[in-house]
Amino acid sequence: MSELSVRHLLGIKYLNEADIELIFETADNFKEVINRPIKKVPSLRDITIANIFFESSTRTKLSFELAEKRLSADVINFSASQSSVKKGETLIDTVNNILSMKVDMVVMRHPNPGAGIFLSKHVEAAIINAGDGAHEHPTQALLDSYSIREKLGDVAGKKVVIVGDILHSRVALSNIFALKLQGAQVKVCGPGTLLPKYIESLGVEVETDLRTALDWCDVANMLRIQKERLDISYFPTTREYTQQFGVNKALLDDLDKEIVIMHPGPINRGVEITSDVADSKQSIILNQVENGVAIRMAVMYLLASKIK
Amino acid sequence: MNILLKSAKIVDSDNKALHLKKRDILIKNGFIERIAANIAPEGKSKIIDIKNLHVSKGWFDSSVSFGEPGYEERETIANGLYTAAKSGFTDIVLNPNSSPVPDSSSDIVFLKNAAKKHLTGLYPLGTLTSLAGGEHLAELYDMKNAGAVGFYDYKSPIANSNLLKIALQYSQNFRGLIYSFPLDSKIAGKGVVNEGHTSTKLGLKGIPALSEELQIARDLSILEYAGGSLHIPTISTIGSVKLIAQAKKKGMDVTCSVAIHNLWFTDEVLEEFDANFKVMPPLRTKSDNRALIKGLKDGTIDFVTTDHTPVDIEEKRVEFDNASYGTVGLESAFGILNKLFDMETTIALLTRGRKRFKVPSPLLGQGALANLTLFEPDTEKMFQPTDLLSTSKNCVFVGSKVKGVVYGSIKGEKVII
Repeated sequence: MSELSVRHLLGIKYLNEADIELIFETADNFKEVINRPIKKVPSLRDITIANIFFESSTRTKLSFELAEKRLSADVINFSASQSSVKKGETLIDTVNNILSMKVDMVVMRHPNPGAGIFLSKHVEAAIINAGDGAHEHPTQALLDSYSIREKLGDVAGKKVVIVGDILHSRVALSNIFALKLQGAQVKVCGPGTLLPKYIESLGVEVETDLRTALDWCDVANMLRIQKERLDISYFPTTREYTQQFGVNKALLDDLDKEIVIMHPGPINRGVEITSDVADSKQSIILNQVENGVAIRMAVMYLLASKIK
Repeated sequence: MNILLKSAKIVDSDNKALHLKKRDILIKNGFIERIAANIAPEGKSKIIDIKNLHVSKGWFDSSVSFGEPGYEERETIANGLYTAAKSGFTDIVLNPNSSPVPDSSSDIVFLKNAAKKHLTGLYPLGTLTSLAGGEHLAELYDMKNAGAVGFYDYKSPIANSNLLKIALQYSQNFRGLIYSFPLDSKIAGKGVVNEGHTSTKLGLKGIPALSEELQIARDLSILEYAGGSLHIPTISTIGSVKLIAQAKKKGMDVTCSVAIHNLWFTDEVLEEFDANFKVMPPLRTKSDNRALIKGLKDGTIDFVTTDHTPVDIEEKRVEFDNASYGTVGLESAFGILNKLFDMETTIALLTRGRKRFKVPSPLLGQGALANLTLFEPDTEKMFQPTDLLSTSKNCVFVGSKVKGVVYGSIKGEKVII
């Protein structure tokens, strides 16, 4: 019987190709399920999952919660601002308190890189990383690759450019690992201030001219500019950012081929992409959201089978 | 009481006649009475007769932190000095890493008094500025008279260039030693590890080598202008070694040190996000390791140090970003250095540096005050948690292969083995 090579989903870099293939095959089945009139299956009926979010999240949390409910898992939610954690309770204590209520799996978002890995060494439950600082966001990368596969038939050999704030982005990092693992070619594009100095050591190329990058690629993954995360100014104004790194319809129409536009959301309309791009046929942004539920169902299903 | 060391191989390259010779050493009332091929025990003697016993001058470490006063949970002065003595270190320079920080002569007197009864000599540093706040110079002259051997705002970079200029000018008439921690904190930003492939892969914020080199370049320019004596503790990059080498060529009064873990580990060990490997300066790359080892051998880097920094488990068993910096290193120092270098180089490194801090240098010869370290250099083993004597157990070297065993040390009439 096929099973994952890991007990936790802490990052894409801990997976192998067969793991990704298995997750995708499983997601195919769940995607069929969630399009049925009755969208629920009893697969995780005796499993309790805690969604522990130390950082605010709307769509990822909703997507996980929906996936859990469609699998008939029991779900509890815990949201803690960093400030309440700073009141004294350690991460291990917080999670162990929740686990002592007989929880089997933890979905955790945390502002610090490696928090999931740290936790997995100290607690019993299976851990799914729902984003840890600027480290990884594995389910996002899986759903992105899954969406590319769905749209273009395969990920191997495809040319993908990730545009925007690469420096602070766990989505970029997980996507780089996932795409490389599946044999895609990856470039990153953005202002020099938002590209990690050593990014090329991960096997990606840097392109600082958006037009050149778009001419080259099959898929453009447009990252959100998270102004609230930038502790210093990495570019003068969003207006100037958009002039250099924003995608609009005229630019897309001017390309020789039709490329696929992706975005992990939430979109800053008019900043990374204009509305007419976001709502165009070339955009698979809403497919990404739908696939997110199927991918998360697949991941939880496969990890739960290792608990039993 | 007499102490008689039987058949001890003397390792002292300063003493060609005795170097690598096996001798008996008789210590009477704390002084070396005789060194000879065979000495018969007389009267009431403590006889130390251990297989493959080696003896050298007592070792010295220029950068050690304990915690007392204020952080006794990390380490007390008593247990810290015991750990040092048992690990072969007979003199240490104590970092101003306590709460409150030692920024007045009475604080220095407290530290000197607390260390009085112990084997290992404690030579405290005072802070450079009041409360280590980085603004107003502390009473450097008064602290120096009380026994402070240098002035250091512990691991806080001097942000204000003019403050460093003034400190170097002010300390010249009483020959004070000024420390400047090599880090430009604006460039380092919120970095916690070396900036490079590993930090990129792990999404951890990086501290570029640039941040260290920029600060050193600035400090050396100020030193050239102002004069004075400057010590740059724990450098970690190739560029820093080059900068110091250039300054020494010009004859500038600058010394620097390197931490043993910066010779041994690279940032690749961070893959598991183990906060024990969170140290300042951060672990860097293989080429940095090589340049630092070369710099140490050719004298560009003056001293090797453990940069012994006890941190209690509550501050380490947390998310990497939230963990405190530092590792203990006294207990593993010899075993690691003895793997990196041959035994004679190791001993030379461990006995170097007292002069810079005006700490009395020991002699291994008849008539001298006993100040000796006892060890054997050959046994290879894995460094274990049980080898740690420190109150805090944050040690990067647990699980590393070490070579040699330290039995302890002797100073005057005090023996710890």
